[in-house]
Amino acid sequence: MSEYVIEMLNITKEFPGIKANDDITLQLKKGEIHALLGENGAGKSTLMSVLFGLYQPEAGTIKKNGEVVKIHNPNDANALNIGMVHQHFKLVEVFTVLDNIILGAEPNKMGFLQKAEARKKVIELSERYGLHVDPDAKIEDISVGMQQRVEILKMLYRDNEILIFDEPTAVLTPQEIDELMEIMRNFTKEGKSILFITHKLNEIMAVADRCTVLRKGKYMGTVNISETNKEELSRMMVGRDVQFEVDKGEEHLGDVVLKVEDVTVPSKLHSNNAVKNVSFEVRAGEIVCLAGIEGNGQTQFVHALTGLDKMSHGKITLCGHDITKASIRNRSKFGMSHIPEDRHKHGLVLDYSLEENLVLQRYWEPAFQKCGFIRRGEVRKYANKLIEQYDIRSGQGSITSARSMSGGNQQKAIVAREIDKDPELLVAVQPTRGLDVGAIEYIHKQLVAQRDAGRAVLLVSLELEEVMSVPDRILVMYEGEIVGEFDPKKVTVQELGLYMAGAKRQEKAITEESEVAQA
Amino acid sequence: MRKGIISVLSSVISILVGLLFGLLLLLLVNSGAAFSKFGELLTAGVSSSAKLAKVLYQAAPLVMTGLSVAFAFKTGLFNIGASGQYTVGAFAALIFAIIFQMPWWVCLIAAMVAGGIWGFFPGLFKALFNVNEVITSIMLNWIGMFAVNLSLMNIKNAAGKLIMLPPAWVNSPIKDRTADLSYANPSAIIPKAGLDKLFDSNYMNISIFIAILFAVVLWVVLNRTTFGYELKACGNNKNASIYAGINAKRNIVLSMVIAGAMAGVGGGLYYLSGTAAYNIQKVLLPMGFNGISVALLATSNPIGTIFSALFISYIQVGGESLQPVFAKEMIDIIIAVIIYLSAFALLTKTILGRFIKTDKTNVNDDKAVEAEAAAEQQKEAELKANEGAGILPPTVEGETVPVEENSEESEDKAE
Amino acid sequence: MNEALNIIADILSSTIIFAVPLVLVALGGMFSERSGIINIALEGIMIIGALMGCLMMVWLKPSVEAGAMGSQLAMLITILFSAACGMVFSLLLAFASINLKADQTIGGTALNMLAPAFAIVLTWVVQGQGQTTILIPTWARITQDNFGIEKADNFIQNFLFKNLYLTTIIAIALFAVAVILLYKTKFGLRLRACGEHPQAADSVGINVYKMRYCGVLISGFLGGIGGLAFTLAAGSGFQSTVAGYGFLALAVMIFGNWKPWSILGAALFFAFFKVIGAYASSIPFMPQFKGLEGTSTYLWPMLPYIITMVVLVLTSKKSRAPKAEGIPYDKGSR
Repeated sequence: MSEYVIEMLNITKEFPGIKANDDITLQLKKGEIHALLGENGAGKSTLMSVLFGLYQPEAGTIKKNGEVVKIHNPNDANALNIGMVHQHFKLVEVFTVLDNIILGAEPNKMGFLQKAEARKKVIELSERYGLHVDPDAKIEDISVGMQQRVEILKMLYRDNEILIFDEPTAVLTPQEIDELMEIMRNFTKEGKSILFITHKLNEIMAVADRCTVLRKGKYMGTVNISETNKEELSRMMVGRDVQFEVDKGEEHLGDVVLKVEDVTVPSKLHSNNAVKNVSFEVRAGEIVCLAGIEGNGQTQFVHALTGLDKMSHGKITLCGHDITKASIRNRSKFGMSHIPEDRHKHGLVLDYSLEENLVLQRYWEPAFQKCGFIRRGEVRKYANKLIEQYDIRSGQGSITSARSMSGGNQQKAIVAREIDKDPELLVAVQPTRGLDVGAIEYIHKQLVAQRDAGRAVLLVSLELEEVMSVPDRILVMYEGEIVGEFDPKKVTVQELGLYMAGAKRQEKAITEESEVAQA
Repeated sequence: MRKGIISVLSSVISILVGLLFGLLLLLLVNSGAAFSKFGELLTAGVSSSAKLAKVLYQAAPLVMTGLSVAFAFKTGLFNIGASGQYTVGAFAALIFAIIFQMPWWVCLIAAMVAGGIWGFFPGLFKALFNVNEVITSIMLNWIGMFAVNLSLMNIKNAAGKLIMLPPAWVNSPIKDRTADLSYANPSAIIPKAGLDKLFDSNYMNISIFIAILFAVVLWVVLNRTTFGYELKACGNNKNASIYAGINAKRNIVLSMVIAGAMAGVGGGLYYLSGTAAYNIQKVLLPMGFNGISVALLATSNPIGTIFSALFISYIQVGGESLQPVFAKEMIDIIIAVIIYLSAFALLTKTILGRFIKTDKTNVNDDKAVEAEAAAEQQKEAELKANEGAGILPPTVEGETVPVEENSEESEDKAE
Repeated sequence: MNEALNIIADILSSTIIFAVPLVLVALGGMFSERSGIINIALEGIMIIGALMGCLMMVWLKPSVEAGAMGSQLAMLITILFSAACGMVFSLLLAFASINLKADQTIGGTALNMLAPAFAIVLTWVVQGQGQTTILIPTWARITQDNFGIEKADNFIQNFLFKNLYLTTIIAIALFAVAVILLYKTKFGLRLRACGEHPQAADSVGINVYKMRYCGVLISGFLGGIGGLAFTLAAGSGFQSTVAGYGFLALAVMIFGNWKPWSILGAALFFAFFKVIGAYASSIPFMPQFKGLEGTSTYLWPMLPYIITMVVLVLTSKKSRAPKAEGIPYDKGSR
């Protein structure tokens, strides 16, 4: 019997034009927690998709307990007792928890569902592992943390022995992360083996036994956690020393640019409100960060702030103009720029060329049109200026289709467009999402430059590292309310986590701030 | 340039396969007559100047309904209601011609307005209530047809005569079609400008040139104006257009109004020719549905609709020569096959794209950029892997899926 | 009094017979869309089902009239044949939209154009040049004779036997099967998952392509029977059209919020309005439009379409389509 339960040997997986996995080897011991570390785009998910049967590798073999196996689809993986918690949960929102757990492994007689026995098993499992869920709740009604428990129960229901966790902590509070790690340790005690995919070094140091590092599709090596440290791991991951800190000088506060009073936004899914009585101010020359776990009303708040959705109550003032009911175009004219959360959904018209996208917010200005006809020469000239100034790279320059550009350059194009509008207020929502370290550093520098140029910046972020390093002030949002205000220099991650999880709240934070404003 | 060539080629391939299918069908039905009739089908359109005139005469309304469908496509809407808009356009034109005794160009404007009104409703319901425009415009096709028939049968003049029908004007027993313009109002007939003599055919008039003019105007609107920029942005990515401060709802309505207006003009052009009378019948007029074929073959390019309309009209004239040995609906089968093939134009284009190498000008001279893009592509692939490989295919120009809820979710969310 | 009862019996039985094709076809659309494929080709599927069913009746006519085959056995064969042909035709949509990832709306439109043209061509071939109508034999209807019951002019018999066809009975059975299939079986759970979140289904080993094929094929099956049922309901013959009922069925499906029981209600609602129009002249309190010509052919037939639009507008806020419908599913580079 082999020492390893799963071995992936010399795996190569190519997509048209690129090698996503190039000769990668990963060996998982029975009962260990094995971390798979790499940047966004390093090939971690591809490798796991190969193991899970979603992709077929061009080269390499997979062994289970020393024997070569072929995994053609998730059914094969399941038959080998391999289960996976996907980063983006694979849950049918309108189904109940129970239906989601049994989907694909339905207990049935002649094709008729037998839910009673399934329910018994699910309740038993959830009690045994402390994974509390309500089997009859619909997925769309339960919290993200509970959805993750459903995903874990899906694996347990199938009696899986090899558990893959793909970036499981991205949606959790620090406290929930601790709980998850405890659950993972319990699994290993029962002899289950865990593959833990992440790009967060702290978590690896806390929970993993060994770690395999990937960089740009290549295998960088496997190390024992007891014999390494964060710096070494990060060098293996990025290939150079990473600057964890963001360079920024003292803030020079100016006038209040954005004033938000009592904003309430109704939820589209529930009868209660997604955002409840949110009030705060952003001044010129500072970066304010709206932090919180995903799904606590940040998106709805930003939509109300930028005019994408209506709010039911409250008032928003931008540079003295009441923009509560203003159209998106007017908010833009009053000096609001918006780097949207989802660059493909909102930020770009993917079938438009780069130059057409660069004037998306300004095509109507006299500089770019005359009597309704687009001044194509002017557009081209302006686009080329931005492309040079912000170093936006693309195959065919300004006429490149936005769809064919890389994610990092798409984001650069959006940042260029929004910053060059010369805004009073820059609303940046998860501006570094899905980008690699180089692009992240670039975006952070741009945000700081805006602050230093005397603009107000409102950053919405889910990444704790970003929350701690970029802003001058942190507002924590929990279930649609602002539950605390902090100075990033004076607060710890653990403290923030308590607020993000709703365990603590500063009742006075808001009133204090308005008093300061009045004084 | 390359994209254009591929579009044209993929349409040509669809046409060839469709014709081949038609030939097979003819052989199956009556192998003796198949080849000779198929030959006639292909050549009838140029067999005489009169036939050619008929091709041009029928192409004019086809260009208009084609433009109607194509324009809506550009805004991400599927205007399956061109038939109804065409019908009410024809009705308005005839009302202005016969009852109000207006000259032809006023009648055309009336047709445009009426068609626009008929396009307004699906647009409005889509914009305000998000009701699928395909369903509403189908319903409006039937409502339009029934309403027009009902009106034609009931509109009476002061003398109590059914003014729209021939008996009000001449001694005629015919009551199931509208009165001939040659006696009801000759000034409403679209000018022939001597073309009828040139082609030696009564069918020939300036309507095809009017249609071409509209095609050019729409091309300019779509490709050179801020309005066109907004419309296409709405069609390609409604969310992004809203984000950019574009009034998407207004654009959806306007787009459908313009689409309807185009179809309405088509109805006017056809029924003001002086050679056609509106038949009161219970069947939807096929001209509007053929507009869908025209638009798809043209990949929604307004200039392209001119050529695809000429083609469709050409084989329809050819189809008449199939009778009586074969049903002329053979042609509809051929057209349906062509559309079916163009539905997966994306696939055809991908395959063609592999054969046609990139233009020299498009070659990337910046190797670094290329390398970076490749690396980034790896990440995108990675993200897709993450999503269980759910990939939204890039929407082909003008062929966006009209159901908008589906495009809401961007499929490759970042890690 | 008796006359009034007769009218009510007529209206009820006509409502049911017009609701039958709507229910069947809308259920078909529901299965297809719940699996993730927008089926706008229902109209075409109905035409094919009606065409082939009517041809089958023509072929079986001699044996039935010679007494060699029972009339309702012939109907059963006809119904199964319609269903089978509907399925074959729906394969064209399935292939284009599942394997080739074509635009589902355009593919469906092509099939809607293909079906009537094909029907005309085939009618010519079978019936001879220039023939456009296939007549329905009188034995298609179930009468008192089939049960050996004495004919009587009472409410029950008028209601039951005025417009009774085997399709109606089968439709009731199929409705029950559809409800159970969708909600109580493994198959139904998996089908619904494919229309909502195909990636999730795929990740637990469900073959999304297969389920979507099943969804479209079921819509072909039901659409084919629905087409036949419509032709039986509409009158004496098949003329290469089902008068927009496929689209009406789509509207019924949307109004019914992709749920079988609501679809049943919606179908009865629409059928009722259609029948009310047809009987308007014999119903005392309906407006009569005496001065107008062509009310029965042109005015009243508009009613169901107008009602459809109004209802769609009114219910649009509550409507919730399967989330993944219309989006081709791509397993990736396998």
